[in-house]
Amino acid sequence: MRFKAGTVRRRGVIAGLSAIAMVGAPAFAQAWPSQPIRLIVPFAPGGTTDLVARLIAQGLGERLGQPVIIENRAGAGAMVGSEFVARAAPDGHTLVMSNIASHAISPSLYPANTVRYDAVRDFTHVALVTSNPSVWVAHRGAGITDLATLRARATAAPQGLDVASSGAGSSNHLLIVQLAQLAGIDLHHVPFRGAGPAMTAVIAGQVPLMSDSLPSAAAHIRGGSVRAIAMCSAERHPSFPEVATFREQGVDLVCDSWFGLSGPAGLPAAIVAKLNAEVRAVLATADVRARYAEFGGTPGTLDAAGFTRFVAEEFARWAPVVRASGAEAG
Amino acid sequence: MELLLTNLGHGFAVALTVNNILFCLLGCLIGTAIGVLPGIGPVATISLLLPITFGQPATTAIIMLAGIYYGAQYGGSTTAILLNLPGEVSSVVTTLEGYKMARNGRAGAALTIAALGSFFAGTVATVLVAASGPLLTSVALSFGPADYFSLMLLGLIISAVLAQGSVLKSVGMVVLGVALGLVGTDVQTGQQRFTFGVPELSDGVGFVSIAMGMFGIAEIILNLERPEQRSVLAAKVGSLFLTKEEFSRATPAVLRGTVVGSLLGILPGGGAALASFGSYMMERKMSRGRAEFGNGAIEGVAGPESANNAASQTSFIPLLTLGIPANAVMALMVGALIIQGIQPGPRMVEAQPDLFWGLIASMWIGNLMLLVINLPMIGMWVKLLQVPYKYLYPSILVFCAIGVYSLSNNVFDVYQTVLFGFVGYIFSKLKMEPAPLLIGFVLGPMMEEHLRRAMLLSRGDVMVFVERPISASMLAIAAAAMIAMLLPSLRKGKDKALAE
Amino acid sequence: MKINTKDLLSGIILILFAVIGYWLNQDHALGTARRMGPGYMPMLTFVILLGIGAIVTLFALFSGPNPLDKWTTGEVLAIPAAIVAFFATYIIVERLNIFQGNYYILGSAILAGCLVLAIPHGWRALGLVHAGFALFGLLLEQGGLMLALVGCILVSALADPDHRPKGVLGMIIFLCVLCWWVFIKELDIRVNVWPQFL
Repeated sequence: MRFKAGTVRRRGVIAGLSAIAMVGAPAFAQAWPSQPIRLIVPFAPGGTTDLVARLIAQGLGERLGQPVIIENRAGAGAMVGSEFVARAAPDGHTLVMSNIASHAISPSLYPANTVRYDAVRDFTHVALVTSNPSVWVAHRGAGITDLATLRARATAAPQGLDVASSGAGSSNHLLIVQLAQLAGIDLHHVPFRGAGPAMTAVIAGQVPLMSDSLPSAAAHIRGGSVRAIAMCSAERHPSFPEVATFREQGVDLVCDSWFGLSGPAGLPAAIVAKLNAEVRAVLATADVRARYAEFGGTPGTLDAAGFTRFVAEEFARWAPVVRASGAEAG
Repeated sequence: MELLLTNLGHGFAVALTVNNILFCLLGCLIGTAIGVLPGIGPVATISLLLPITFGQPATTAIIMLAGIYYGAQYGGSTTAILLNLPGEVSSVVTTLEGYKMARNGRAGAALTIAALGSFFAGTVATVLVAASGPLLTSVALSFGPADYFSLMLLGLIISAVLAQGSVLKSVGMVVLGVALGLVGTDVQTGQQRFTFGVPELSDGVGFVSIAMGMFGIAEIILNLERPEQRSVLAAKVGSLFLTKEEFSRATPAVLRGTVVGSLLGILPGGGAALASFGSYMMERKMSRGRAEFGNGAIEGVAGPESANNAASQTSFIPLLTLGIPANAVMALMVGALIIQGIQPGPRMVEAQPDLFWGLIASMWIGNLMLLVINLPMIGMWVKLLQVPYKYLYPSILVFCAIGVYSLSNNVFDVYQTVLFGFVGYIFSKLKMEPAPLLIGFVLGPMMEEHLRRAMLLSRGDVMVFVERPISASMLAIAAAAMIAMLLPSLRKGKDKALAE
Repeated sequence: MKINTKDLLSGIILILFAVIGYWLNQDHALGTARRMGPGYMPMLTFVILLGIGAIVTLFALFSGPNPLDKWTTGEVLAIPAAIVAFFATYIIVERLNIFQGNYYILGSAILAGCLVLAIPHGWRALGLVHAGFALFGLLLEQGGLMLALVGCILVSALADPDHRPKGVLGMIIFLCVLCWWVFIKELDIRVNVWPQFL
């Protein structure tokens, strides 16, 4: 009984609260940020998204005068954390580390009834933080050195050539599907639970090939435990100038994983402009620049409108690839 | 050998600076504290504390994080023994004999042997990491998916004997655990299974929710229903020290646990979890006190505790030699290193000798610190049992609640825990053991993953499981264990039925 | 025939899980042995579970007697009443449509079910401990940690008849301070401490 009384009182309180929030919104914009900013990372701690977020969080907090606190809310291909932000108050105190999974692939991959946000309309996309290409690597003893030998091996293998990826429905999985189509070869996708175990299998030679994001592969390429075959970028990567692109080798396979900063829809323009400027300022510092370069990330330079267009393009680009790949999450 | 000593000497020189010792101590203290708190595990803590380490040199940062990691292993066994609350996969096994020992008034002895065994195992494992890290890496690399599958299968069959009651029912619970582990996103296709459209379930049911519900909350309710038992619990505290007999029984268990743990810890993924289960089953079959198992046998605490600490040290091997994280905590370590501007990878030993050898030396120092911190605290922990239960249980409850919530900052986990509290209560009334269920839950998903990958790579040829020598020998042991287990236990079951 | 009631029920529970799981698994593609679909492993698991459940049930028919504790009429009636309370609350709160998201509907339904379950003496501990836990979840995000702690401790304290108001009050103050110190000050977990509507 106590409980029922509580709900009635709370309903009034919540109604009042939202009224205050609506009236108070312009006032907030003046004083923003008035409290610590929660930056939701929609993946578990330790992954690339988490890392990218942590690298800018400190600098961003110093510049804004309020700490930026990372909060991991993982689940459903990064959709749980993103949905949380889509539903948060658009006051600039709750942001999400948007990325290729949460805002380009997962909404097409998961069944429609579990996708509870529109990747473009339900968010205010603020800034592109960093992007990095994917790279294909091979086991050192596999005898695959470039696209030509890859093609030869795939043709020779009676039941397709095994290629590992960090998981079903990841951008790397979709790249395998795309390369098989573009090059007309038979590739046999072997999904793993994350890039780490997949890389282990390639180093050990259980799987000869892997499509991986540059950050997780960079150390292994530099250390010589695997051999880089081709980069999925438009031009050769400055940190790995010796690795040829797919494009150079005759197949137009280009894919950047990207990470950005987004807030709920309806974020005041003043906050968006300030946040975008501060993110770009943090990205311009030598320290952050060096650390992103270390694992092959390129700092983003888009303004908010440009980033919003970028997300929309990415969403439109991946939807048909997801359908063609036959990958599904429902 | 000489080179090893030089390197270790260098490591100690790095680790024994005042700053590094302080951060090692700080890490161990925090680790112990969060290990004792149910729910909040090392992953959550390390990610919360990561920003603190930014200002420190890389070596100091990683020494502190490592301290948190093995400190948490120590602390986790404390609540498992005292309150039947396993906060981590590895302390599930400790509840089985440890909590029984506490009920017999031997909580002090159980905590003491856990600390001593862990220290010994940690020392051995540290030497192992230093001496043969790269060599052991190649062992880990030679494990293919078929071998993993067979190892997991062996683990599951082994775990069926873990439980007290009938073997058949525990096999049922293992399989039920495997079934529970199916909930979530299918790794191979990305499809959602048994999630009923709840996004929170897409990463599976939370281990901590199950453990808190089925062990912690269910135990609270059972204690509240039996007021007479609580008073017994509070009255009997007994000596903190091991008796001579306990000591001589525990020693071989510690030795065996250390070997099992060191070897299984190297395997990425399930290694550390399998280590404590494997050790428990080994003790149950081999130790002198096997007749006492189920009623508080000290070997059942000494072995698994040593094994899980050894495993937590050797699980650094894949990280340090390959740059590949063996579990979520290690993944965070990689993140911490990258933030520090160090790319963990195969060349870390040469490129960062300070970091590599300093970390290894600090592991041993950390273990020593944990022993020093924990031995005097045992008296205090045991006093906790003398707190009247009516004050103790609401405290356990709120700590569980906060811990469960903080896992992913989501109230869904809290409600999920309520569900498992009910399930745990019903199961305990029906004498269905929760421990095998949890083991099935942990190992099941990995087993499925490896099974499917093995079949994918072999293009559907089942023979791969018997053609590979590692896999074949695992399966042979599993078959032998099954036969050895079923025959006497069926007979025992009959005897028991007659006796009743 | 000496029936082991506990084992019999265990077997039936296992069979029930297996059958429901198998039925739910119909949606998932089985695939081939080479490329197993998402339904392959569940199918194997539930078939094995069914087999074990059947054997447990069979053995239970002869290995008894091992009866359950006797239930009073109140205890028997409380179970369907709690289930009804759960669903009724769920439907009512859903219709009221005041709380969006965050599982408020689920939480209130669980709380109501647990409170009803706690009416007969035998289920008091079972119902109230769980009710306290659910109340914690319900109050936490809007009410803040302190209110959630007070609610959880109050309700769960009712489960033990030994509690006196003074002792409970002392315990609430002590635990609130302790939790604030441990979780907010030291660990800095991300949660509101005080009610959001003040």
